[in-house]
Amino acid sequence: MNDRIKNLVLGLVVVIGMTCAAVLVRHLDTLRPPPDPNAFDENLYLDGKMARRVSLGFNGLAADWYWMRSLQYVGKKVLNSDHPVPLDDLSSLNLKLLAPLLDTATTLDPQFLDPYEYAAIVLPAVNVDDAIRLTKKGIEANPNAWRLYHHLGYIYWQQHDYEAASEIYGRGAQIEGAPPWMEAMKAKMTADGGSRSTAREIYTRMYEQSTDEKVREMVHVRLLQLDSLDQRDGLRKLFAAYEARTGKCPSSWKEVEPVFRALRIAVDASGAPLDPSGAPYVMRPGACEVDLDPESKIPKK
Amino acid sequence: MESTAAITQTTTRIESRQGKLWRIAAIARNAFREAVRDRVLYNLVLFVLILTGASIFIGELSGGQERKVIVDLGLSAMLLFGVFIAIFVGVGLVYKEIERRTIYAVFSKPVGRGEFLVGKYLGLCLTLLVNVLVMGVGVSLALLYVSRGWDPLIPTIWPAVLLIYLELMLLTAIALLFSSFSSPALSALLTFMVFVIGHFSADLKTLSVSLGSSSARTLFTGLYYLLPNLANYSFITPAAHGRAPSVGFVVATGLYALVYIIVILSGATLVFSRRNFK
Repeated sequence: MNDRIKNLVLGLVVVIGMTCAAVLVRHLDTLRPPPDPNAFDENLYLDGKMARRVSLGFNGLAADWYWMRSLQYVGKKVLNSDHPVPLDDLSSLNLKLLAPLLDTATTLDPQFLDPYEYAAIVLPAVNVDDAIRLTKKGIEANPNAWRLYHHLGYIYWQQHDYEAASEIYGRGAQIEGAPPWMEAMKAKMTADGGSRSTAREIYTRMYEQSTDEKVREMVHVRLLQLDSLDQRDGLRKLFAAYEARTGKCPSSWKEVEPVFRALRIAVDASGAPLDPSGAPYVMRPGACEVDLDPESKIPKK
Repeated sequence: MESTAAITQTTTRIESRQGKLWRIAAIARNAFREAVRDRVLYNLVLFVLILTGASIFIGELSGGQERKVIVDLGLSAMLLFGVFIAIFVGVGLVYKEIERRTIYAVFSKPVGRGEFLVGKYLGLCLTLLVNVLVMGVGVSLALLYVSRGWDPLIPTIWPAVLLIYLELMLLTAIALLFSSFSSPALSALLTFMVFVIGHFSADLKTLSVSLGSSSARTLFTGLYYLLPNLANYSFITPAAHGRAPSVGFVVATGLYALVYIIVILSGATLVFSRRNFK
């Protein structure tokens, strides 16, 4: 009986003690000052080469660790941001550790393609030189990965360096297994690099090739933006025709609504046509100009 | 008459060889049973927990790289747990027998010291084999779970598992060598150092080439060839990318391990034979 009581008391001490410890930890969490969003990120202690050396054959696992750290690093900054930021324009988040983290991950495991692809999409807005350096590093370590050529071409295209983009697409097209559109992209970059149709082609291919949900989401928004740009051009043409006919720009959507109805274009209750995200376009009355609604999910730039 | 004597001699030799093998097998069986009794295989429970957790949660953290992470994590845990078993159980194999004085009972029977060491070594190797096989099956099942069916990485992890096992066999032999002449704590430390240096072998070679002094060059070249080249057994990262080593490479590393193990066990027997238990 004594033993049973002793065991019961000891068991209770363990349970109550652990509960108290958990309560204390929660209390300590509330006492700890919140992290300073303006604080500088501490530099990495190890560079890639050193990390590889000390990983003792666990370099693959260490690379996974750095890769997940990169995602957490960006994710945390996005969550702490007071405004929504698109994946391809994170320049406002001060991501100075992202390039070293991805560099370390790829030095630990040079055949790990995802960090290179992530660098090609996210880094150009942060530091384009780092983005180019990392993607080139990926190509050097994986010369048969044609997707990396596509990503490097995308970076050059963003920088309006259509000649370099064309050359990279040409090199990628020669790789065994590369899709035929790589060769077509080479020609498109040379002839028509800055056009909307080239942008649509690039984003469509990225959407088809990417397995990352975040990247696909970002690319989808860019494709919607291109649709919206086309729609706004169409609306401007409509306004021009209206002006030519009546001698003035329309002052409300109601004036041009019959045209939308005839063309079976979706409109809201006020007669305003809807952009690809479902928000109504905003007319600048008397200016023959159309803008995106402030609430629209279509990027402004 | 002469031929009858020769036949008798050959038969005796065969019987003695069979007896030797039987004795080694008996010691190995006991060493395996002892490891199981010491709950060495309980590490498998921890391994299964790690893999289950990784399979369920890692997808969200790794940005869709769960298959690669599972292979990296599973095989790295296999190596890490194996190294701990090889070191901490390996260094106690002989020491425990001496400490409990059971070694006197063993050597009062017709058992050679070499047979004793080889038997103990094979017993621990059998424990490690069970360990890596169960873990390999665990990684394969985790891959089946995350891929919701057959995964092409499954066949490519097994050559890496074999290389991990060879590395563990090497390390066990080294632990046994150290434990044949020093205390368990020191043996564990020395074995761990060999494990670390064994993964730095490429640096030793680079160092030997880049050094100016010829004596230093000779020293580092000597160390490069003397210490086990464990970096050759690291095939975890390529396995996670679906790349398997060539048959020639596996055979060569297997031969290297065999030669090295024979050398180490011979050395251990040499030291152990001279040891006085009085």
